[in-house]
Amino acid sequence: MYSVLTRGNAILTYTLSVLACLTFLCFLSTITVDYRTTAHMNVVKVVVKNVPDYGTSRERNDLGFLTFDLKTDLSHLFNWNVKQLFLYLTAEYVTPNNELNQVVLWDKIILRGENAVLDFKNMNTKYYFWDDGNGLKGHQNVTLTLSWNIIPNAGLLPNIQAIGQHSFKFPTEYTQTRV
Amino acid sequence: MEFFSSIPTHIDYVGQAKAEKLYRAIITLFSIVGFIWGYIVQQFSQSVYILGAGFILAAILTVPPWPMYRRNPLNWQNPKNTEEKPVGKKGKK
Repeated sequence: MYSVLTRGNAILTYTLSVLACLTFLCFLSTITVDYRTTAHMNVVKVVVKNVPDYGTSRERNDLGFLTFDLKTDLSHLFNWNVKQLFLYLTAEYVTPNNELNQVVLWDKIILRGENAVLDFKNMNTKYYFWDDGNGLKGHQNVTLTLSWNIIPNAGLLPNIQAIGQHSFKFPTEYTQTRV
Repeated sequence: MEFFSSIPTHIDYVGQAKAEKLYRAIITLFSIVGFIWGYIVQQFSQSVYILGAGFILAAILTVPPWPMYRRNPLNWQNPKNTEEKPVGKKGKK
């Protein structure tokens, strides 16, 4: 504290220590928040095709196409420790090949301050719905779920699954025409 | 150059203690206010800005050697005549 530089150094280090404490307190203040909420989803159009998946082999695999509706309000999830939400829509199903298949069909980033009241109609998926075989044709129980990953200022990075899901069936015939 | 070297830059021991107490108080107070305000408006950036304002205020008040930190100068003894040093204390510092 005897010279200008030592005083400046002391003030700066003390400020940074206090800032670290504030950040930790901010994390503690949101540790018990329940980030689950309801989401309504629905499929509009579902078709399945049988086409070669050149990404893995030359065999013909099942490729599902669907459009979906999604309605949810996530604006109350943004507290002072949430910078952004990463939403993703997952299809989950069981095939004889695999006990659990999970395919991410669509995702969206919602930044803090952006509109978080979602009401999508007849949306196309962003990613291909490939099965690693022929498990999609005539499948009776494919479940759509919406999840989100919370990106905080400080603290944990939880993955939250929305309350509400939708199950649908694939048609029993392959579609031959272009979709 | 004569002008610059004539500016006093030291602060005394009482002033150092005072400066330390002052900056701790300012930054702690601003951090508490910033935390509460940030929680109310649910914007952590507001807390950081308020803490930054406290840092700037504390730096202005305590980094420059203001005259209020120089009110308790030490009473140095007058320099002794060095030619009449006692023999027994020679070499000791």
